[in-house]
Amino acid sequence: MANMASVFRDGSVDADGFCIRYQEAGEGPPLVHLHGAGGLRLTSAHDLLSCAFRVIAFEMPGFGAVENQKTQTAQDLATTMAAAAEALGLSGFNLMGTSFGGTVASWMAVQRRDLVAALVLDAPSTIRPEGGEPISGSPEEIARRLYAHPERVPPAPAIEPALAERRLAIAQRLRGPGRDTMLEEGLSGLAMPALVLFGTRDGVIPPAMGRHYLELIPDAHLVFVYDAGHALMVERPEAFTEVVTDFLERSDAFIISRTKTVIYP
Amino acid sequence: MKVSYFETGRYQAPADMPAIWPMPAAAYDSGEGVRVFRGMIERIALAEKLGFDWVSLSEHHYSPRILTPSPMVAAAYVAARVHTIKIALLGPIVSHSNPVRIAEELAMLDTIAAGRLVVGLLRGTPNETLTYDLNPQESRERTDEGMELILKAWTEPRPFGWQGRHFRYRTVSVWPRPLQQPHPPTFALGTSREAGEFAARTRIGLGVSYGPFEVMEKVTGYYRDQCARHGWEPAPDQIIFRANIILTETDAQAQRAMEVYPTRAPFSLAEGVASALLTLDARNIAGEARSASINRALPINFFGSPDTVVDQVRRCREVIGAGVIDLGFNTPGTTDPVALLDALDLFGRTVLPRIRDI
Repeated sequence: MANMASVFRDGSVDADGFCIRYQEAGEGPPLVHLHGAGGLRLTSAHDLLSCAFRVIAFEMPGFGAVENQKTQTAQDLATTMAAAAEALGLSGFNLMGTSFGGTVASWMAVQRRDLVAALVLDAPSTIRPEGGEPISGSPEEIARRLYAHPERVPPAPAIEPALAERRLAIAQRLRGPGRDTMLEEGLSGLAMPALVLFGTRDGVIPPAMGRHYLELIPDAHLVFVYDAGHALMVERPEAFTEVVTDFLERSDAFIISRTKTVIYP
Repeated sequence: MKVSYFETGRYQAPADMPAIWPMPAAAYDSGEGVRVFRGMIERIALAEKLGFDWVSLSEHHYSPRILTPSPMVAAAYVAARVHTIKIALLGPIVSHSNPVRIAEELAMLDTIAAGRLVVGLLRGTPNETLTYDLNPQESRERTDEGMELILKAWTEPRPFGWQGRHFRYRTVSVWPRPLQQPHPPTFALGTSREAGEFAARTRIGLGVSYGPFEVMEKVTGYYRDQCARHGWEPAPDQIIFRANIILTETDAQAQRAMEVYPTRAPFSLAEGVASALLTLDARNIAGEARSASINRALPINFFGSPDTVVDQVRRCREVIGAGVIDLGFNTPGTTDPVALLDALDLFGRTVLPRIRDI
């Protein structure tokens, strides 16, 4: 991460009948990010990632200003987002999905192994326990489930309640079952390396779900981010970025330490 | 009430030994060291025969006061020689150690001891920050993170990475697993808000030590409140109270022993170091700031005749809510190991049978 963080600029691309907005910064290998049910919100982790990667953070159709009744399933949405990436001329890119975006990213990796070089699932909702409820409620209640330490997180920009509700509704409509046999079969056939991250204090998806990905995906790694809730990129951006960058740069060899411990030469 | 005997490795220090910490290595008598570890088995075997539930060991360094800098090594030795008593490590110092290594060694020990292991996880006394060059201002956070990592290392079925604040591992997969599943009975040790909150959140026990009952009551009350907030209630034997005891035939004998009991720790830090540590090592009791205990002798919480001690144990149960007392036996005026055997025997005969139902 030798380079300076870049400034994100807005863009949009037509794909699969949608006009899809995105924000982009940085140079280097492309890293496509799919946001969670809260919609596209840049974090300091995006800034840090843009030091090493060309980060393209999409806003998935239905999570922005325009409603989306057309998309019926997370698979459909994955098809749309793959088309958006291809429309930007991307292939062999790193794909990262956060929470609900993790479900979409999982489907995209399964459907389009040709496009995705490596997969990062950030507190993914791909596999959920029975009875797991999506986050809703007052901003305080939501913050308590998103963060291990809500008091340390700067207040999020206010959004219209109607928009927040619409995002939650589309995520709930598309997210699929907690255990999706077809998706899990697909995951067990993935050839690309995958990194799954959970905060040790995730209040939305139990971090114990992480082990299922190791059972399913042939080349998967699981990393716990200590003392973080569901929103890892907001709560521990440096820790998140370091391990994601290391994994994407070195693949399976990222488990070999490069930390220098010499105190005096 | 369950009763634990705190085995420190009784090293008979000659009278001319300097009263400082760290104790110079040159002052060590290797013959006495050998006697310490031989006597350890004799004492623990007696405690077991008398019906003590646990023997406890703990980690301290650079001093003849406690001769088990590696409580794991001591516990392995005890586990192989004494066969029914539970072995409580109260505890390994988490803040200055590798938590994955602690998880591995404890899992080994639980297996070697056929599931007799009890675990307390400790931040460490202020002087121990000097042992392995630990910044005292980081010891609290490192302890909390280390404890969480140890629990995770015991319970995750597949290799995982740890992206912490103070610890980073890319792949952890502990073998052997603990024999007791999901892990041995485990306690956070300490009186701080952080220890209580951690224990409540992770549903483990709490071990408190050496304070007056009324102060310890605040700590265990805070812990119980936090447990309720997390939707559970700790059982009595999830609260340990470690304390010193002077048990004598009569109250008058104990009173005389208390009068000559020292107020200063037997081995003290240099004043400049002690005063600097006081400003750097922040401590609290259930959230209320207090200064760290440095160079002060540990108090005696149980003292008197058997009748009096039985009453004190009853009060301890009522006030603190402890279901386990972990006792350091004092033998005023002597460091002779035989005196310690006598003290254990007196307790086993006159007190132990009468506090079972408390």
